[in-house]
Amino acid sequence: MAAGFKTAEPQEYHRSFLKEKCRPDGRELGEFRPTTLNVGSINTANGSALVKIGNTTVICGIKAELAVPTADAPDKGYIVPNVDLPPLCSSRFRPGPPGEQAQVASQFIADIIDDTNIIKKEDLCIEKSKLCWVLYCDIMCLDYDGNLLDACIITLLAALKNAQLPKVTINKETDLPEVDTQHKRHLQINKHPVASSFAVFDDEVIIVDPTTEEESLATALITAVTDEDDQLCAFHKPGGSSLLAEKLQDCVSRAVTRNREINKLIDKVTESKKSSK
Amino acid sequence: MPITEVSSSRQGSRGNGDVRPLFARCGLVSQAKGSAYLEAGNTKVICSVYGPRETERKDETDMKSGRLVCDFRLAPFSCPKRGAWIQSAEERDLSTGLAESMQPGVCLHRYPRAQIDVNVVVLENDGSVLAHAVTCASMALADAGIEMYDTVLGCALRQDGDRCLVDPDLAEEQGSVRESYGENQGRVAVALLPNLNQISGLQADGEMRADTLTAAVRMCVEGCHKLYPVVQQAILRAVKRKAPPPPEK
Amino acid sequence: MATIQVSEAEKVYIMHGVRDDLRVDGRGCEDYRHMEIETDVVSNTDGSAKVRLGLTDILVGIKAEIGRPRPMAPDEGYLEFFVDCSANATPEFEGRGGEELGMELSNSLYKVFNNRHSVDLRSLSICPGEHCWVLYVDVLLLQCDGNLFDAMSISIKAALFNTRIPRVHISEDEEGGKEIELSDDPYDCMRLNVENVPCIVTLSKIGHRHVVDATLQEKACSVASLLISVTHRGTVTCVRKLGGGSLDPDSIFEMTETGKRVGKILHGPLMELLQKEESLGKERMKVGFLA
Repeated sequence: MAAGFKTAEPQEYHRSFLKEKCRPDGRELGEFRPTTLNVGSINTANGSALVKIGNTTVICGIKAELAVPTADAPDKGYIVPNVDLPPLCSSRFRPGPPGEQAQVASQFIADIIDDTNIIKKEDLCIEKSKLCWVLYCDIMCLDYDGNLLDACIITLLAALKNAQLPKVTINKETDLPEVDTQHKRHLQINKHPVASSFAVFDDEVIIVDPTTEEESLATALITAVTDEDDQLCAFHKPGGSSLLAEKLQDCVSRAVTRNREINKLIDKVTESKKSSK
Repeated sequence: MPITEVSSSRQGSRGNGDVRPLFARCGLVSQAKGSAYLEAGNTKVICSVYGPRETERKDETDMKSGRLVCDFRLAPFSCPKRGAWIQSAEERDLSTGLAESMQPGVCLHRYPRAQIDVNVVVLENDGSVLAHAVTCASMALADAGIEMYDTVLGCALRQDGDRCLVDPDLAEEQGSVRESYGENQGRVAVALLPNLNQISGLQADGEMRADTLTAAVRMCVEGCHKLYPVVQQAILRAVKRKAPPPPEK
Repeated sequence: MATIQVSEAEKVYIMHGVRDDLRVDGRGCEDYRHMEIETDVVSNTDGSAKVRLGLTDILVGIKAEIGRPRPMAPDEGYLEFFVDCSANATPEFEGRGGEELGMELSNSLYKVFNNRHSVDLRSLSICPGEHCWVLYVDVLLLQCDGNLFDAMSISIKAALFNTRIPRVHISEDEEGGKEIELSDDPYDCMRLNVENVPCIVTLSKIGHRHVVDATLQEKACSVASLLISVTHRGTVTCVRKLGGGSLDPDSIFEMTETGKRVGKILHGPLMELLQKEESLGKERMKVGFLA
């Protein structure tokens, strides 16, 4: 019976739960799904991380390649993020070139990397206007059950923390780069931004960490990105129903606490990975 | 609890005929009808199955049986060299190889006018990807409840002179291929329906004598049988989870 | 691929025939249909051949161009394949269907021919790491009557035999820069050693037996075929299972044996024929519509 109600009247179905201040999966309105993290499982990548928020699973692999710095920024390397939503992760995505949603997510991540300076791009330079690192951050969704952006940022941050680059020097005589794979170093992480997403239901009820179903029924979606100094780095609310400023304030404060939780999780997992070696 | 077959690495004491320890599990992708994840050594493959749903191509002449659409992708970070996002010729080739191997195992006549999508992503390529993708896809199909004649198992082999290495890793697979001008150099991949004892897929490249090839195919068939218990167990677990046995009276 | 519908009664008739080693057109299970081979048919290519097998008609043209060697094989040239499935051949090739099949066929040909077991790729090198010959092999399907792969491989082998690559002279100027000069003399050319170039033998399983060179009707009765590329020494360079069905291991072994035997037999007369045709020079009689 419940299943029929859910399919026929999804809006009503969710409303009846929200009236009782809970959600169909048993969560409270302000509760995130259990978040788990796994780092360094892909050996072919310089750094990798897999994050699960409930069912949503996202993996990030970082590949570092040597390149020549661009002419307008000779003392900087560059970071190229890319988000992929393959047909594997949900029936809504088709094979072929990246769709609109994947492109929007890629741009969002690229903006956060640039604006917050997660990594100082000067750190990626090996020799001015000659050689620098390019970090390809390929993020792939393996199971799409809502809240993609949060998962992408967590996996990106964890993968960057996990990444190790070999030492590279330029041989003075031959002018060719020499890679020393014996000496590897971690990247200096400058900022630790974490995203928190919210969905607005019936123009007023705000729920955190929406699933796909909740996302599709929501009247507005909000993503707030904060860093470890409780500063707001980015705020994303693409249209939808209007909200009172204080409600947005609530979202930001929730995002601040979420940032602490996630950074604690990343540190814990990174530590346990190191000690297990 | 990981399901592991007891054997150790070739660099250590893995014999030439041994397959790598296999970890297999069904039902990880919540959005899919069925899914599976498989790990053999460092090779990591994930597969999801969607459908049966209405076919996209209406011009197909044969509407009496369904279509199996396979999409094979290597994640950009899965190989030593970073791959592009667009599907390469190699991936297209692997897609056709996968479809060719899976098709005989699926009762497609039970799904007229429908298509079943099989999406495979390789997260880490450490050799024998096509073979493991076949096994993984067949587990995902079973998990999706698609009617099948039999499980499809894949096994690959690298022939290097008189040595033949079953389930090669990437180094073994590509190693010395450049220098090898000699005879009996090649790679073989076999897809097997174990209960019917039918080979549903066969690919061989390189240069081999006919008798070497025959022996290689035999070795692959043996390798497939070694994988079977692990795969069977994983499928069984998934079925038990979905339909728990009735409580004993 | 081009397919036709065959009724159940026809199927039974064909299968019974195959069982008794007597096919509908009078052939035995291991016999090819009548084959016509003609080389040097397109004058603006470096090598060309036309093969007609039954009603299957294939034209192959090879153009040699100077390109950069691939980074993983700096001392070798390479081959590129393009298969054009013209809608002339069968109406099924119209639009995207032909494109997809063409892509698949060229990928398979690439696997079979572009390796050092088949062609001496080193002989295509001009200057390691800098320049090499790239052979663009264009295959045009004029008419499809089954057994495309075998016919394609034979015409590619014939065209490679016919290919003449101009000799190059590398001169170095004072600054160490290299200059490549093509020879003006049309007879000063290099030829390829095609001895190792394999022929593809496609075996189709019909009933409990298998046949070579299946016609479209026979193809419709077969559940699965095995593509085997065989060198003149009888070694196998490439095997692919094709078609929607599966095969039991024993018939695969039998088919490999047959493929090897038939392939080996195919090479001898083919080379003889190619040499004989060439020795005729200008006097040879031209047949076919390209005459």
